[in-house]
Amino acid sequence: MSENTFMGVDRSKIDWKPTIDYSKCNFCMECDKFCPHQVFEVHETEEIKLVVKNPNNCVVFCRACSKCCGPDAITFPAKNETIQKISEIRKEMESHD
Amino acid sequence: MIENYAILPCNGLDKCAGVISREIGLKLCKNNHNEIICPVFARIADVKYHKITDQYPLLIIDGCATRCASKLALEKGFKVSKKITVTEEAKNNHLELTNTLKLGENENALMDIILNKLATPEEKAAPTSGQANVEYHFDYETFQNGKFLFRVPKNPEIYYNENDCWAYVIGNRARIGVTDFVQQNLSDILYFTPPDMDAEIEQFGEVGEIESSKMLIDLISPVSGKVVLINDTLIEKPELINKNPYELGWIAELELTDFESDKEFLIGFDKYFEIMKKKVEGLK
Repeated sequence: MSENTFMGVDRSKIDWKPTIDYSKCNFCMECDKFCPHQVFEVHETEEIKLVVKNPNNCVVFCRACSKCCGPDAITFPAKNETIQKISEIRKEMESHD
Repeated sequence: MIENYAILPCNGLDKCAGVISREIGLKLCKNNHNEIICPVFARIADVKYHKITDQYPLLIIDGCATRCASKLALEKGFKVSKKITVTEEAKNNHLELTNTLKLGENENALMDIILNKLATPEEKAAPTSGQANVEYHFDYETFQNGKFLFRVPKNPEIYYNENDCWAYVIGNRARIGVTDFVQQNLSDILYFTPPDMDAEIEQFGEVGEIESSKMLIDLISPVSGKVVLINDTLIEKPELINKNPYELGWIAELELTDFESDKEFLIGFDKYFEIMKKKVEGLK
């Protein structure tokens, strides 16, 4: 199993990451400056100047970058669905033990 | 109405939310003995305003989530007592703001809501009967990393989530807070946003925010329940979270709604201590 786990579940199996709405994003890069986990990556010379590069670095249930987003361009999955999914994976893991 | 505040609006005049922030600041100053801080002048000559912020509690009115006024206050070393963000209030009240700078029906309604909110004294709940004499004892295990000491209580009544928050559960009530990992990682904590009294919090829902000059973090509740007590000493003294996030710097108390289910996603001391040590090592 990967070293990167959350609640005993491989982090790559948990869908928790920011999604950027490019129709709202003004590429101010506040989210990238804010996030200490290198979730975002800046591509200065390209048309889309900001991407979610490392989604698995994102701390599950943390939404703090969206709170720094002036144009309100960042969204996260529904927390309850993520909890449900984690619960299902854990049950599946237990049944294999 | 609130009185004797120093008010720092965002004043972002290129956005509707900024215009609303400015208007609220002006209205508060017109009707009351409040002092306004001009963010443009404060950026180049903050000395004038330190006299006001030393004398009065500081109210920040941010327009949007860019939080320019908050950042200016941090940069200039103004101690913040209260914050409000216009776009957040608009969202909470299901009001869509215009893209223009002209204030219409929604914008005026929102201004009234915010002014009314500021005028209403904040509720402070007294401990419910039988809770006043509860004593919380902490039995620590420690972990040293360079000059930083990390304490983690090993009491069996204390549960953790992997978001570095703890819940000390007694009966149907839990006192919650953050661990030493959070306060060491944030460094000097400068502002605490408490949850609303009586708010129904879901497990892993937000139960406030804390902010340092380095970062802002959401407090992720380990348990579900209703907020029945807030450690409001932290509003004036957020640095108590740095001093001791378990005893002086606890965040709130919740009346538990489904602790048996919540436990599925909680861990005890042994597991959390190992996880925290790995996180600390990962910071190098």
